[in-house]
Amino acid sequence: MGFTDRFQKTTEPRHRLGAMEADHYIYSAGIAGEKFFTALRDRGIILASHCKACAITYVPSRLFCERCFAELTDSDDREVGPEGEVATFTLVRQDSAGNALPEPEILAVIRFGHETTGFLHKLGEVSPEKVETGMKVEAVLKPQEEREARITDIAYFRPVKK
Amino acid sequence: MNLKETNRSAAVVGAGMTLFASRLQETGKEMTWEAAKMALDQAGLTLADIDAVILGTAPDAFDGVHKKGEWLLDGAGGVGKPYMRVYTGGGTAVMAPIAGWWHVASGMYDKVLVLCEEKMSSVQPHAQSAFGHIWDPILDRPLKPNLVWIFSMEMQRYMHKYDVSYEDIASVAVKNKRNAVGHPCAQLADPDITLEDVINSEPMALPVRRLDISPPSDGASAVVIVRGDMAHDLTEIPVFIDGVGWCIDTTMWTNRDLAFPEFVVKAAKMAYDMAGIDNPKKEIDVAEPYDPFDYKEVQHLEALGLFEPGEAARATREGKTQRDGELPVCPSGGLLGVGNPIAATLGIKVGELFWQLSGQAGVRQVKKDIRTGVTQAWGDLMQFSSVLVMRRH
Repeated sequence: MGFTDRFQKTTEPRHRLGAMEADHYIYSAGIAGEKFFTALRDRGIILASHCKACAITYVPSRLFCERCFAELTDSDDREVGPEGEVATFTLVRQDSAGNALPEPEILAVIRFGHETTGFLHKLGEVSPEKVETGMKVEAVLKPQEEREARITDIAYFRPVKK
Repeated sequence: MNLKETNRSAAVVGAGMTLFASRLQETGKEMTWEAAKMALDQAGLTLADIDAVILGTAPDAFDGVHKKGEWLLDGAGGVGKPYMRVYTGGGTAVMAPIAGWWHVASGMYDKVLVLCEEKMSSVQPHAQSAFGHIWDPILDRPLKPNLVWIFSMEMQRYMHKYDVSYEDIASVAVKNKRNAVGHPCAQLADPDITLEDVINSEPMALPVRRLDISPPSDGASAVVIVRGDMAHDLTEIPVFIDGVGWCIDTTMWTNRDLAFPEFVVKAAKMAYDMAGIDNPKKEIDVAEPYDPFDYKEVQHLEALGLFEPGEAARATREGKTQRDGELPVCPSGGLLGVGNPIAATLGIKVGELFWQLSGQAGVRQVKKDIRTGVTQAWGDLMQFSSVLVMRRH
């Protein structure tokens, strides 16, 4: 049963059908985001920003440190990955309408060293039973000609072959 | 109400604001950080010195992120600190610093950072598509109201009741857009604008024309509020928050007196009583009332007790509210001249009074000696007002 099934008789005085519509939104990637996505598309790298004072590396790159407000400039850029470690994960077996997915999706938070922030992405080339916390994974990028400066330019992370 | 016995005084010691314009390049977080950093730098403080953070921002529908108060958190410097969002529509611009004030005046915190952010260019095709959903869904929305025609009806009622001419009201837009010429963050400053330009601008919903309205915008502003007894150590001339007030009228806007905003009178009375002001006409040296439309500036001046009902528009046409007039009004350039990123107008209201009263307003500086100012914002469903009285001690 879909979510709207209970609300069909909108001609009754009791209720109205409405929507909070906007045609669309334009979301800004931001100064640091533009740099991150350009590097991902053109150089195939995962760019991060390192705050020396707080000893923390933000993935993706950021314009400022949220802890101390220092401006993070080009000289604070760090390249992280492509290898990282699964900090936590979940398996998704149904879509939002409740239909079974042909293959379960695996979402994971990946860390690139203990001083980095977490990075959300998908896992691939691995069966759900084999996934575990602490697993070493590596980024699989789409071919350069298919990359469009989006987070999905990384196709997924897969286990590092031993 | 006990208005005379707050625990301790509070003062503004720094302010900052970004350029007001449609800003595709930066995220809301990045703009917020820029304004916050400026305010902290002016106060000579770092984020580590700040005890608590207040963020003001209006509808989530502008930025297109639900819970955008939490989303903006990192740019606001609130990570790991006591943090709250203030949201009273356009009234946020003065309500957020009022929340900052009570954090300090209560005795709980010594140094508080107050930010306001708005990014109205995200919602497409226009911010009006977000405003379309602020109305009652059963009674109002089927008639497809938009802000401009609602304000047109309010303006019409005001002009009728007090027999005020459109030309007198339009002179507010001329004054503010000219005042904004000296503002580094201004979006619509125009040194050559004339009354004829406003009168001949595109009709929107008559009597409202395009130049009677402030433009949607993106931007962020910030102020730092500290305990009064610390203020002189941080800046040469701190500006004290001596009175605060706020009030909300019925949500059914048809039930209100559309010509005279009684809720502004009540908010102002609270702030004046707290500040010990008996005669605002004599005791207020400079005013920054909320001016999203030119008629709102004059309505607000009247409700703030600075002019008699129906008198403020003619006084504006006569030049009494110019920067060098008897009562300088919106020396910043206001929303009409600098721009209207709803909550972020903090910088041209409270920020401007801080810079004016501490003598740091540069080319916008009011020449005569000013000591006491009042600022006010207005919002929610055109029903809410927040008022601050600021003073150099």
